[in-house]
Amino acid sequence: MNVEQTVRDSAVRRIAYALLRAAVRGRRARGGDWGEAVLAEFTETTGDREAVRWAAGGLRAVWHERRDRRRELPRMVRIRRRVVRIALLGIAAGLVVNHFVLTVGYQPSGGMEPTYRITDRYVVDLAVFRLTGVQRGDVVEVSAPGTHRIILERVIGLPGDTIRCDDDRVERNGVLLDEPYLATDDLHPDYAHMTGCIATLTVPPHQLYVLGDHRVISLDSRSFGTIDEADLHGRVLLRL
Amino acid sequence: MPRIPHTSPQTLSLFSALLEEPQRWRYGYDLSKQTALASGTLYPILMRLSEQKLLETTWEPSDEPGRPPRHLYRLTADGAALADQRLAARPAKPRTIGPAIQARTA
Repeated sequence: MNVEQTVRDSAVRRIAYALLRAAVRGRRARGGDWGEAVLAEFTETTGDREAVRWAAGGLRAVWHERRDRRRELPRMVRIRRRVVRIALLGIAAGLVVNHFVLTVGYQPSGGMEPTYRITDRYVVDLAVFRLTGVQRGDVVEVSAPGTHRIILERVIGLPGDTIRCDDDRVERNGVLLDEPYLATDDLHPDYAHMTGCIATLTVPPHQLYVLGDHRVISLDSRSFGTIDEADLHGRVLLRL
Repeated sequence: MPRIPHTSPQTLSLFSALLEEPQRWRYGYDLSKQTALASGTLYPILMRLSEQKLLETTWEPSDEPGRPPRHLYRLTADGAALADQRLAARPAKPRTIGPAIQARTA
């Protein structure tokens, strides 16, 4: 076709024309009247600059034309399209939130009993704690040192704190901790029983001292020492 | 305050181009050249005018081989009347506050 020949003079003009044609026609043989009008007059332009300007304006015109055409679609079609669009956006946003902001975790071990029992699910904050920091007593997800396994622990000591523990009690900075989250009922009399404590320890900068609530079976700072801030994965907000 | 439709400088310059010879059919590139409007400004205005029956459009078959048919435009009677009125209502000069201040201080 002759149109293509006229356009053949420069790569820029050819690309501009091809883009405009794709926008006007898509996969159809012929686009809307207005798009076709802009396309037909592309050959009137002279030089690369003018051709690109004409094509760019043409894209805007095509966008207007499409928008007007969409408004004439049957109501149900418009609603359906909107529902699909919102659903897709929602799914995408949900995936992003789930990965970076807030997610649900699963507790496969008994190290935090009785607060978190095996098979419990909980909501984890993955982002905000990085701004606000964690506090003593927070339950956090950390990757167990030397592994990629995520485990639940309770923050006992922040950097600078001096931790001392013996049989059934933990002292922080010389003050005996009140630990209402430990099992105190008669059914589980020994949950709070501590073994493997290091006599006294001061938490180094950027480290955390963590313990599981089930002091008998929990693997925590008593065995692997303080954990690095960088191994913090999330802060548990609530149990489901 | 609601904006009065068809009073933008771009629309007015298109009106004055179309009113030069109201009966003549014009095409987009030609109008774009004369009004110095980019295609992305010109065509949406043309679409709006046409949708409101102020502009009529037709396809002119190609008179020379190789040139695609052209889409042509001219104002309808309603359109011409409106264009006249809008152009007449246009401030003669770009609005400045100079004269008002002068009048007050005189």
